Amino acid sequence: MDRVTKTLLAIVGVMIILSPIGILLVWNYSDAWGEWDVNTVEQMVGQKLPGMEKLADIWNHAVLPDYNVPGWEDKLHASIGYIISAVVGTALVIFLYYALVRFVVGKGASS
Amino acid sequence: MKEVVKLHIPDGYLGPYTCAFFYLIMIPIWYKAFRWLKNLKPSQVPLLGVLTAFSFLVMMYNMPVPGGTTAHIVGGTIIAILISPWAATVSLTIVLLIQALFFGDGGITTYAANVFNMGVVLPFVGYYTYRFLTRRLKLNEIVSAGIGAYVGIVTAAIMAGIELGIQPYLQPGYCPYPLRVSVPAMAIAHLVTAGPAAAVVTAAVVWYVKKSRPDLFAMRTITKTRG
Repeated sequence: MDRVTKTLLAIVGVMIILSPIGILLVWNYSDAWGEWDVNTVEQMVGQKLPGMEKLADIWNHAVLPDYNVPGWEDKLHASIGYIISAVVGTALVIFLYYALVRFVVGKGASS
Repeated sequence: MKEVVKLHIPDGYLGPYTCAFFYLIMIPIWYKAFRWLKNLKPSQVPLLGVLTAFSFLVMMYNMPVPGGTTAHIVGGTIIAILISPWAATVSLTIVLLIQALFFGDGGITTYAANVFNMGVVLPFVGYYTYRFLTRRLKLNEIVSAGIGAYVGIVTAAIMAGIELGIQPYLQPGYCPYPLRVSVPAMAIAHLVTAGPAAAVVTAAVVWYVKKSRPDLFAMRTITKTRG
């Protein structure tokens, strides 16, 4: 691994540890995240949105929804949940990346 | 009234025709991007891996936007400049899939549209802006990288705004906001917050890599002129 990759890897590590900044900075903004459920949007525009209602919950198997452990609502717990999400997400992304490289390029390339 | 100011379009905001349209568009692009991986030099394999992780993490850093919403940067232009815009497409394809499946960020029906905005529009616009500035206008590489990232993310945001904003005209029942609401909302958040942040981060990374590994830049140029 070259020097640039090593440095970037260190940056990735620091970004995992500091990730709670990403929610704490916008803590009071949370209801404006664009995370609105259908009901909120319907209330805001004053009309029913049948299409959105049907599709919105098409996928509800997220293990760590909104990058948090379900139920960890206060700042401290949400921060820990966020770090866990950062670790899990980073691991999954790198795993999938190497799986893809192996699949496309073959074995030799992924060292 | 507050707006959806996220580049990640959630399930339910786009109707089935729009979703299907972007899956169709993405099939040849995915084919080309995955095949492009064969051009990756062995030394670039770990670099792209760590940049993919960087892209995932940088999107977790939500930044406050005046008016009560949030925005984040994507990192697509960094990958496009350091390796190739096709590499950025591969990275964002992976990152957005993990985000949608495991964290409920983005969506399944909107996945292809999100990859198109963040993994195609953003890095290609960012990269070609950068290339135009460095090669045609002979502008400084680091400044060009910053401007490229800025233009890339703002264009991707406008693209997402258009996709959201055409819904009321196509088929009511999905995103209820028309173009005149959705496009400015998406554009402004990225013009004032995510754009400048993307510019600074991209310029800093490019500056660092150029300083410590100028050969990576030479390599990129060769790869590009060949492909």
